[in-house]
Amino acid sequence: MKIPDVFSYSFSAIKLRKLRAALTTLGVVIGIAAIVALLSITQGLQTTITSQLERGLAADTLIVVPGSSALGGAAGGGEVFGGGGRIGGGSSSSAPLYVNYTNQINALSPDIVTSLAVIQKSGYIQNGSGVIRQVTTIVGVNFSQYASAYSTTFVAASGSVPVNPSGNEIVVGARVSDPRLNGTMFVHADDNVSIIWTNNTIVPFVNETYTAHVSAVLDRIGGFGLGGPSDTGVYVPLSQAEKFFGSDQADEIIVKLKSSDAAVVNSTSKAITDYFGNQVSVISATAVQSLLSTIFSTISLFLGGIAAISLLVAGIGIMNIMIVSLIERTREIGILKALGMKSRTVLYIFLTESVIIGLIGAVIGIVSGWVLANVVSLFLGRGGIIGSALTITPILTPEVLLGALAFGVGISVIFALYPAWRASKLKPVEALRYE
Amino acid sequence: MALIVEAVELKKIYMLGKIPVEALRGVNLKVESGDFLAILGPSGSGKSTMLNLIGALDKPTEGKMLIEGVDISTLNDNQLADLRRRIGFVFQFFNLIPRFTARDNIELSMSIADMSRAERRKRAEELLETVGLNDRMNHKPAELSGGEQQRVAIARALANNPRFLLMDEPTGNIDSKTASEIMRLIKRLNEEKGVTIIMVTHDQHLAREAKRIVQMFDGVITSDMVN
Repeated sequence: MKIPDVFSYSFSAIKLRKLRAALTTLGVVIGIAAIVALLSITQGLQTTITSQLERGLAADTLIVVPGSSALGGAAGGGEVFGGGGRIGGGSSSSAPLYVNYTNQINALSPDIVTSLAVIQKSGYIQNGSGVIRQVTTIVGVNFSQYASAYSTTFVAASGSVPVNPSGNEIVVGARVSDPRLNGTMFVHADDNVSIIWTNNTIVPFVNETYTAHVSAVLDRIGGFGLGGPSDTGVYVPLSQAEKFFGSDQADEIIVKLKSSDAAVVNSTSKAITDYFGNQVSVISATAVQSLLSTIFSTISLFLGGIAAISLLVAGIGIMNIMIVSLIERTREIGILKALGMKSRTVLYIFLTESVIIGLIGAVIGIVSGWVLANVVSLFLGRGGIIGSALTITPILTPEVLLGALAFGVGISVIFALYPAWRASKLKPVEALRYE
Repeated sequence: MALIVEAVELKKIYMLGKIPVEALRGVNLKVESGDFLAILGPSGSGKSTMLNLIGALDKPTEGKMLIEGVDISTLNDNQLADLRRRIGFVFQFFNLIPRFTARDNIELSMSIADMSRAERRKRAEELLETVGLNDRMNHKPAELSGGEQQRVAIARALANNPRFLLMDEPTGNIDSKTASEIMRLIKRLNEEKGVTIIMVTHDQHLAREAKRIVQMFDGVITSDMVN
């Protein structure tokens, strides 16, 4: 029998039992849709986070933090997602990093353009009407250096970032000014506010406070602020932060390199860690990205695996329905064999039926999975779980697309093998006698 | 006259549970091209077993069944399938595929034999004309009477130019008036087109229409005579 004839024969058998075929196909549709939706959302999330990361941590930038295990293992990895621009985390027992270490770091390598220290603490801000809000971070930085390191994000939307700020001048993120991003303003540029920090270095704890002047409100940045400025940050001059917090310990030192070349990144990273006797960690964009991609491939594998189970169930459904079909069609198979059909053609006919079901199921599944992914991410983007800080655009890679197609058809064929084999092995005499 | 079917000391033993049943106990038979042969016998005489062996649907336990000189015991599954394409089966219960129209049922046997779509469409229409059903070609079996279904089955059996037609109680499921029409068609095919026919039946009246009657009883041929 020629291949188009096998197809049209199989198709006529499927058409005969439309509801049954539709339900069997639905199993494949659900499995494939789950795989496509989960993987494309995960892929979209990864891309979003990676682009956030690239904005906060350029490839030619290193971040030095105290502690020796910022990216070591799961604990360090988890803290990458901790908000506020602090990447990684040092253990409390590690040697502190001081603000003036920037001079030593600058001298370490000719590849270093400049370095700047960052002090950050969580605290509160009180506006002119006396309303107090918690802000994620009070960040002490050198404004002009910080602005040149983050030239795309440390940009004023209103007011202007002072080059030589006086002690009480501050810059705030977009969501400090407009917390819900709906026009209900908390502070404007040129307002006076109180900065409050709970000093926990002495007992009893004391609320330290000073009056500051908002010189600028930053443009909306969005995202988590993985390294670099964030929408919820309050930026104070570095010297003011040292005075206010009573400490010259830096939480991180940002190092700008001459190039993003891997060799430069690696040799400089090594030079810095060696200099500090392995008591600091150096985070580079590439290291974080490789960590992220490891995390995301694990997540993809896990979610894909769960979705694959539903496809497995669909496969069992196919097998079940094929066995029923083969029993119902025993006599038909006998007729076909009496007419001179070869056993392997009978096998092909049954396998083709499963290919058709698998193919239709996979195609509908991919389309509905894609629709589902978009609906879900729309919901997530609208102040759902993640909040409006992050928008996810689902991404359907060709790998996922072709993989889902192959997987859908593959599972269908694998589970049809046994029934098809049984059909092909029917003896014509017995099959013809079957009532 | 060419020898088409030859049975030599043919034996077939079935296992009915654990009890062996001797369905054929040494049958010798020769059928030549152009013959119209009726194998007549009551149920249990071994005529159905004979039909299965002549149709290459089953293999003998002992002895030889030669179709056009080839011993079917020596053939594998694929070769048997190829051989069956050269045999035109007509069954008591018609055995048409219910979801196919009359024409598609006839085309099916040709598509199994790898004939091209255009060729088999043309031939199916010719065959429907031969059996007098050209106005019913787009009807499904359920929309056809028993006699009409059997005509479709005969047309299907003729589709691949078989060496012989092998019929199993061809009128067993049809009213007597239609049955005689079917028999007229079968006789006409034999006389006018020279189609070799082997018909298995328990009906003496039907057997009398054949040129030659082979009587079977208890697994052996008891008489073989020209009508």
